[in-house]
Amino acid sequence: MFRLLSKKMRRWRTSSSDNQTQAKQNGSIRYLSKNLDGNLHILREELGQSSDVIIRDMKISSNSNVDAAVIYIDGLVDRNLVNHDILQPLMFNLQVIKDNINQKHSSLIDFIKSSVLTVGQISGTEDIDKVISNVLKGQTAILLEGVTQALLIDTKGWETRNIEEPTNEVSIRGPKDSFTETLRTNTALLRRKIRDPRLTFQSLQIGERSKTDVAVAYIKGITPDHLISEINQRLKRIDTDAILDVGYIEQFIEDSPASLFPTVGITQRPDVLAAKILEGRAAILVDGSPMALTMPFLFIEGFQNPDDYYARPFFASAIRWLRLLGFILSIYLPGIFVSLTAFHPELFPTQLLVSVAAAREGLPFPVAIEALLMLSLFEILREAGLRMPRSLGQAVSIVGALVIGQAAVSAGLVGAPMVIVVAATAIASFLVVPYADAGALLRFAMTIVAGFLGLFGMVIIQLEILSYLAALRSLGVPYLSPVAPLNIRGLKDTLIRAPLWAMDSRPASLESPDMRRQSPGQMPRVPKAKPSKREGQ
Amino acid sequence: MKREKRIKIYVAMVLIIMPIFLSGCWDSHELNKLSIVSGLGWDIDPDTGEVTLTYQSIIPSEIKSSSSSYGGGEPKGGSPLRTIKLDQDTGSSPYDVLSRYAQHASRIPFYQHTQVYVFGKEGVQRGIYPFLDTQARNPVSRPNALMVVSAEKKASDILEIQDGLENIQAFGMAAVIKLSATFSKYPAVTVLQFQNRLLSKTTAPIAPMVGIFEETGPEGEKSRKIRVIGTAVFKGDRMIGQLNERESSGLLWAINKIKIGFVMIPEASLEIVTAKSKIVPELQGDQVKITIEIDEESNLVEYKGHQDMNSDIVQELEKGQAKEIESQVRAAVDKSFALDADVFGLGDAVHRKYKKEWKDLKPKWDDIYPRIEVVVKVKTHLNEIGDVNKALIKD
Amino acid sequence: MFLEKGRISNFQLSVLIIGFVFGSSVISSPGGEGAGHDAWIACTLGLVEGLLIAWIFTALTKQFKDKTIMEINSLVYGKILGKCISLLFIWYLFHLSALVLTNYGQFFKLEIYPATPKTLELLLLMLVCASTVGRGIEVLARLCLILVPLTILVVFADTFLLIPHMDLNNLMPVLDVPIGKLLLASHGAASFPFAETVAFLMVLAFVNKPGKVPAAVSRGLLIAGFILIMVVARNAAALGQMAVVTNYPTYLVAQVIDVGDILTRLEVAVAINLITMGFIKISVLYYGTVLGLAQVFNLRSYRPIILPVGILMVILALTNVGNTLEMLNFAKKGYPIYAIPFQIGIPLITLVVAKLRRLPQKGELDA
Repeated sequence: MFRLLSKKMRRWRTSSSDNQTQAKQNGSIRYLSKNLDGNLHILREELGQSSDVIIRDMKISSNSNVDAAVIYIDGLVDRNLVNHDILQPLMFNLQVIKDNINQKHSSLIDFIKSSVLTVGQISGTEDIDKVISNVLKGQTAILLEGVTQALLIDTKGWETRNIEEPTNEVSIRGPKDSFTETLRTNTALLRRKIRDPRLTFQSLQIGERSKTDVAVAYIKGITPDHLISEINQRLKRIDTDAILDVGYIEQFIEDSPASLFPTVGITQRPDVLAAKILEGRAAILVDGSPMALTMPFLFIEGFQNPDDYYARPFFASAIRWLRLLGFILSIYLPGIFVSLTAFHPELFPTQLLVSVAAAREGLPFPVAIEALLMLSLFEILREAGLRMPRSLGQAVSIVGALVIGQAAVSAGLVGAPMVIVVAATAIASFLVVPYADAGALLRFAMTIVAGFLGLFGMVIIQLEILSYLAALRSLGVPYLSPVAPLNIRGLKDTLIRAPLWAMDSRPASLESPDMRRQSPGQMPRVPKAKPSKREGQ
Repeated sequence: MKREKRIKIYVAMVLIIMPIFLSGCWDSHELNKLSIVSGLGWDIDPDTGEVTLTYQSIIPSEIKSSSSSYGGGEPKGGSPLRTIKLDQDTGSSPYDVLSRYAQHASRIPFYQHTQVYVFGKEGVQRGIYPFLDTQARNPVSRPNALMVVSAEKKASDILEIQDGLENIQAFGMAAVIKLSATFSKYPAVTVLQFQNRLLSKTTAPIAPMVGIFEETGPEGEKSRKIRVIGTAVFKGDRMIGQLNERESSGLLWAINKIKIGFVMIPEASLEIVTAKSKIVPELQGDQVKITIEIDEESNLVEYKGHQDMNSDIVQELEKGQAKEIESQVRAAVDKSFALDADVFGLGDAVHRKYKKEWKDLKPKWDDIYPRIEVVVKVKTHLNEIGDVNKALIKD
Repeated sequence: MFLEKGRISNFQLSVLIIGFVFGSSVISSPGGEGAGHDAWIACTLGLVEGLLIAWIFTALTKQFKDKTIMEINSLVYGKILGKCISLLFIWYLFHLSALVLTNYGQFFKLEIYPATPKTLELLLLMLVCASTVGRGIEVLARLCLILVPLTILVVFADTFLLIPHMDLNNLMPVLDVPIGKLLLASHGAASFPFAETVAFLMVLAFVNKPGKVPAAVSRGLLIAGFILIMVVARNAAALGQMAVVTNYPTYLVAQVIDVGDILTRLEVAVAINLITMGFIKISVLYYGTVLGLAQVFNLRSYRPIILPVGILMVILALTNVGNTLEMLNFAKKGYPIYAIPFQIGIPLITLVVAKLRRLPQKGELDA
């Protein structure tokens, strides 16, 4: 049995370099012929008989015999563009074409390409597969009789969601736009934040069947080069059917697939993404997903929130501490309660112990079981509330959970202190959103260990977790920087948020080649007031 | 070969990991299987040396019902809250008794919240060494618990009395003792402090004494209450005498344990603001002279003379205070000599200052002690005279 | 050299040393044997002695950069004699680690978990140490950076809260014990815990800037030493005579803290400190043992022997003393003498021989 497991693991770990060669087997290029009908026949076969594939036969201007065909997929293209800027010039610019009608056909297509079609992006190809894949992407292909080259025009124009408010990362003061599912929109949103010409988007296509467009975004000169090459390497290694969401990519390229804590950051907001890129990270945008990945990702980033930077420093620092406290509480509180109740009653202050003991009288379950039951109940409620159809969602709110808890207490199934502990834990767990899942798992582990071995067990497990985190790296950067290894400059943005005028350099852990972010010495100062003329009177 | 090795490793790992889950249940005690002992009474039979322990344990369900009804917690008349219960056991030694506990108790005793250890008068006169040994050797109880000597013969008498204001009797008793220490009447002595005094070769341990009083309530019913009535003085582990109220106060003045309180003199009452004391030893050959210097500041709270305030009167009051304090301390000093017990820690004071000579003095301490000359110097200062500076009725 | 690719900075080294010195001293004060309430003086003298010893073995590192004591021994004494001496040193590290585990087990058995068998606790602790050791010295250093400041915080908080209970008279008279006893006690303080930093001879090879190592080590020792002196003095001041009588003064003194009935039962923080600092100390010793064995026997990696060594360590910890009394006797009387050849002997003699033989010669540094 163990043998099977280890064999499987070895297979998963094998590098996929052998898989890549298989993909290249279809390397032979098929070329277009001069025969229009022949080409159309092949294309019809490849594209299938789907009803949304439009093949429009036409003649270039009314007087000629030049047959042509325009191929596009309805729904993917902007119809106005196709009609006005492709079909119309081809069909109606009679005079112009007539003048050139007697020229050789090959230059006819060049002429069309250069002077007739009033479109922005246009290219030509002789490769049938390229025609097919580009048409599937939303481009329009034009084939002419007697010409081996096909024109490909970018006419993407499908229905997309409007730019709305981010649903997961709420910011009170900051901008309220969030990414959508179209890559181009997202890159545009990013470009609006960073207008530096050195902002680069490197495009890749990943996914056998989905051929998803993936863009790696970074600022040349700020993001270290070895980071980019490493990311590119990892992306190129991916060989899968489809990339449906940014999470797919995350799971293929992350440093530690088994780790509880994410080593890749994820965000929905252009301003957050821009800030992270400006600090020296690289971002990955995926067509079809409203989330963007950032690498490398450090532990401390989970506690950073865009509002921190838009608000005043003292308040932001206090809120950071609150988040850390809440996070720690949400992992430890049930465990501490269980271990104190079951193993170390001497650690309660006396009056508290009397109250807790009073509440525990007559309860049927041992405290560890009780805690696990309540925690599971909470998780069930939470998940149900998420997935439930919206009309019912209100009923299953946390208040509802509390009512259930209260009823359980009255029925004598659980103790009142336990309900409070679990409720506090539950609410605190939402303070740090990226780690909510990891936190939930840790919470359960801690509670179970607390039930078996009390505080000692909890401390031991905690040491193990810390050890694991300390060993974790994200793209080569130690996960717990800047606390461990210690980097004093980097501490400006960890548990405190130093005022913006003090944050002169980029986070040192990211080892950017250009460390200077702003000029030092910009603390606002009130200019010395000159006595105004009015005061003398 | 490799496969077998791997299997062996897996088996070994399972064997190692399994105990983790089977474990810990040794030490896990559900709260409702514990009986929280709030006070422990020790009675040692003077003739046989048998130990009788009285356990005052908390009944949590009573607390629950009393706390969940707001305003219904106060008893009416004489019916006390039944929040505690008493158990008693006798055996040849403390652990013998403890081992019998299970015979009548449904729960495991838990001493980590014990607030007071009460010693019956009989036992104390015989010597409480069994307690001291078990306490020091077994870390089941806290160094902060209070030592209390019962003025009644048996400790169990004290543990029965329910005052009614505090939920749990032992907590109430501890609070009473601590309050009397704060008001500078009697010392509050923790187990740790007692042990320290015991370990010092010359100092005598002390502990407050609590007695029972009968009171008649407003409707004529009788109720019994506890009260701190003195300070017990030990030599070694045996009680050899006690200090009354005045002497106890004097003791507190001398050892710098005055917090808040009042000095009563015939013409006035003064509230103590701060008080500091120092014990200054002086060695003259074989003769030890101790000066107890006391520095005190106070406010005037009650003036019985019908006169306006002036600086003469203030000076008189200060002198009066000093005299009163001095006489209290003197009383304590005299009693300590009478009992031949160094309650002030004079030996330690001499040791600290004359460490070379101490080597020679220590064996002779029993002779030296009675011959110590003690001088008390008190400095007082009246700070405030209150809101009025003229008398309401003038003579 | 191929066994450990990680490097730590000098700052991390200092913090690691602080954690190591805190080790089990967090619970049982050093220098207490025989010195009574002057234990803090004994501690100070012990610190001085510890610094001297540190000077000796850091000089050794300065001489041979990048090499652990195993490699140095082989170079200085020749392969065979060098390996024998290295094995002796490894035994010291191993034994010390087991001793710390024994301390651990006894404390837990007494104060926290009377019923749970020691085997389990020690096993669990050893497993965590094993996984950290397997991750390399870098991870251990990073962990220290988190754990040590927390411990220091707790120590200072405790001290602060104990101020109302402290009575400086308890520390008087100063220098009450005869000088002979005091010196013995101070040597005791030196051998446990200050001079135990000789174990770092296995770690110093992996520091970034070898030239600054002596300063970093001294800094670590001084900081840890001062804090320990403060702890010893505070324990004596707050507990009076009981500080000498009890086996675990820091724990007892934490039980005394009671602020407004809320800030009470703080001894749990002290117990947690013991676990974390003990973890660091054991990990360092464990690491030294395992790395040393790998170097002496020319293994490619030390990872396969981590678990077996760990299990042996636990076994030794469980069996080496019959009861606490034997342990106490050994700690007070036997250990200070037993440790001398390892703490002073090996480094000093190796240094002298190395200097006499004018090692390292130019070519040997690359070995």
